[in-house]
Amino acid sequence: MADLIATTLAEVKEAVDTTLAANRTLEVRSAGTKRHLGRRLSADSVLDVSGLSGIIDYQPEELVMTLRAGTSMGDVEAALADARQMLAFEPPSMTRVTGEASRGVRGTIGGVVAANLSGPRRLTAGAARDYMLGFEAVSGRGELFKSGGQVMKNVTGYDLSKLICGSYGTLAVMDQITLKTLPAPETSQSLLVACPDFAAAVRVIAEIFATPHEPGAAAILPQVIAGEEGVDTGGAFTAIIRLEGIAASVSDRITNLQAMAGGDILPMEKSVTLWQQIRDVQPLAKKPLDLWKVSCAPGDAPKIVDALDPNMDVRMIADWAGGLLWFAASRSDALGRRLRETVASLESGFAMLVRDVAATREKIPPFQPLKGPMFALHRRVKSAFDPRGVLNVGRMHDGI
Amino acid sequence: MLMPEPDQQVIDRRDQICRTLRSIVPADCVIDSTESMRAFDADGLSAYRQLPLAVVLPETVAQIAAVMKWCHQNEIKIVPRGAGTSLSGGALPLADAVLLGLGKFNRILEIDYDNRCVVAQPGVTNLAITHAVQADGFYYAPDPSSQIACSVGGNVAENSGGVHCLKYGLTTNNLLGIEIVTMEGEILRFGGKHLDAGDYDLMGIMTGSEGLLGVVSEVTLRVLQKPATARALLVGFDDTGAAGTAVGDVIAAGIIPAGMEMMDGLAINAAEDFVNAGYPREAAALLIIELDGPAVEVDALIERVEGIVRKAGATSVRVSQSEEERNLFWAGRKSAFPAVGRISPDYLCMDGTIPRRRLPDMMRRIASLSQQYGLRVANVFHAGDGNLHPLILFDANVAGELERAEDFGADILRSCVEMGGVLTGEHGVGVEKRDLMTIQFTEDDLKQQQRLKCAFDPGHLLNPGKVFPHLHRCAELGRLHVHKGKLPHPDLPRF
Repeated sequence: MADLIATTLAEVKEAVDTTLAANRTLEVRSAGTKRHLGRRLSADSVLDVSGLSGIIDYQPEELVMTLRAGTSMGDVEAALADARQMLAFEPPSMTRVTGEASRGVRGTIGGVVAANLSGPRRLTAGAARDYMLGFEAVSGRGELFKSGGQVMKNVTGYDLSKLICGSYGTLAVMDQITLKTLPAPETSQSLLVACPDFAAAVRVIAEIFATPHEPGAAAILPQVIAGEEGVDTGGAFTAIIRLEGIAASVSDRITNLQAMAGGDILPMEKSVTLWQQIRDVQPLAKKPLDLWKVSCAPGDAPKIVDALDPNMDVRMIADWAGGLLWFAASRSDALGRRLRETVASLESGFAMLVRDVAATREKIPPFQPLKGPMFALHRRVKSAFDPRGVLNVGRMHDGI
Repeated sequence: MLMPEPDQQVIDRRDQICRTLRSIVPADCVIDSTESMRAFDADGLSAYRQLPLAVVLPETVAQIAAVMKWCHQNEIKIVPRGAGTSLSGGALPLADAVLLGLGKFNRILEIDYDNRCVVAQPGVTNLAITHAVQADGFYYAPDPSSQIACSVGGNVAENSGGVHCLKYGLTTNNLLGIEIVTMEGEILRFGGKHLDAGDYDLMGIMTGSEGLLGVVSEVTLRVLQKPATARALLVGFDDTGAAGTAVGDVIAAGIIPAGMEMMDGLAINAAEDFVNAGYPREAAALLIIELDGPAVEVDALIERVEGIVRKAGATSVRVSQSEEERNLFWAGRKSAFPAVGRISPDYLCMDGTIPRRRLPDMMRRIASLSQQYGLRVANVFHAGDGNLHPLILFDANVAGELERAEDFGADILRSCVEMGGVLTGEHGVGVEKRDLMTIQFTEDDLKQQQRLKCAFDPGHLLNPGKVFPHLHRCAELGRLHVHKGKLPHPDLPRF
């Protein structure tokens, strides 16, 4: 399995052309920190694109950063911090999920975009795909193309930026990416509300979101985990609501919410740490367990939790007001099937295997299976970019 | 503007086609008299008019699917239409195409506060979504200027924006789910009430696809709590460059206003003549900067912004002290287009976007083009996100003026692309900017976009002649030339 190395878009094109001509396949890899996402690949060669790196242009007052896909998230974060800005979708660090972070490994912005990874602020600020303004790439046809642009308001042509986000490298090899940045909030605090059960926690968050006090993120921890994270409120579940903004506004809003919902205020420093833990799924990731995520309508979250087999040993946390559920268990194919059945019956959402410990992804597809015409359409979309199945083929679904 | 050559054989079969359509949908849902079809012969880009083959106004999603399936089987083109407010000709009929109107889909299906969303049929107006939830403190954020009339299905097709999208995003950022009907008549759902696609983001690709990929038959929209307060500043400058600098300074200070609008001298005076909003007539540029959120936050930020704009050289600053005054500040801006309509028999509204820092360069370029073409321009900008709306004033009754205005507009859009921007920020490509696409995109860029079209509509039956300057057959687009080898296993199916 020979490695091909590309440091320019022309070299990417050459690598794809050569692979096409030889009727072979490629695994596109940069830092390789997200290889545990999706189906296992058995490509003929690895195309190493980690050399496509560096920030090309960053104008904080334009709220726009143009950079190459292989740029390390560490470099991205440092540049943003210097300008007191952020990627508002709050990308999680998958290397903290996998444990590689302890060895100093960081992923790249291309990986974040390819997996459309977003953190707690996704609930109110949008996902990676909402901040992707444009890109340049080489398709599986070996053709250079671009889409979008470097401005934040643009409806010229199809919005391929949305499609490339979350396509796991199956459509094209990205080089230049332009992202929208935003000013980082001056301060943040959280409100911790004790709740008698999970449904009550979802409800209290819904009530808080029906006020004009602008909550920005909302998670739910079971008591054991709340205790481990030092935020045990005594309730069977703790709802955690984060507020961000200028100091006067945050303290005014949190006081109002506390008057309404009760609870304790977590000051900024502790709040920041807690949300990093939640963002990187740390309460579940530390132990060697399979990890599942479920995206659902927040109001459906209690039904999904209730449908779990009570005999199964499952740890869970919730983010996105209940709309993102994380579950950890060992040998989790039965758990995965149960989650998928429940989600399917609710007609909104999906369940994805994010990390497997003992080859669970050989037993159950990591992505929620696509049915009938949806599968056919996905195959045609794949084919529109990569007709011969050269790039990461099979990463998401059979032939995709 | 050259549209695809109509298929005479289809036109010759018109009576038979209408008869069949009347068997698929209730008979009164098919309109085929010239007189009645006049109401559908154009959208908001009224310079272009064309009678359709027939108008079909289905009443159920099953009827949409049945009409599309039959048209697909019989190779008859379809042009979808929402409220017909497109400013780029996205809903311009074709002589050999059925115009599929979604006007009867005007019901809100569900208001779901637990999940903070509204499920609606595509023909519901943008403003009706807010009306349905405002008693409970919620609203729908995207606010295109046509929001009283434009439909949410059309908003999805065009990825509509509005004056508040700097802070709240475009349609694509406020959409949770859609149901579409494909050209083959299949009903598919992308998204729902949950976040993220989990697979290819086909909802993302549908949004802003200008009716070329599918017909939106249902939408699920995110609704937000209305901000507790909103206040605005009205800031005059004697130099447009200084106004542009002020816009950048506000954002550099870490403040994202709900809206940040700029008008130039001609627009200021036209608006002032029209609504008496108290705009500074002598100013060369005017900024309206709106901040929204909790009262303490808005009051604090208003002060900061006032300091920033004064430092940037503002010649006049007014801060709204009441809701009434804030609305008055906006009244001038919101009536800018009709106000300009009063000082000129006709105008063309352009819609390019540039990197914000190029604003002063662009103002100079437009001024020099204005001299060159001998036509006046009133400038109205969404300054916060660099989206320009130069209004080119002309008189269609003067021979050659329309063409001159169009050439002038094309030059402005060329300049937008040269300066690192794009052809259209929110109005869409449609037919209006179709032939300019090659300025922004290479042939390969456009071919890749069209291959995506082929994944949805390989027969090019849905809204052809829009967006793409050259139509390539899908078989030709799909052909892969492998230079260093030959295609292996030619007998294997390739998806």
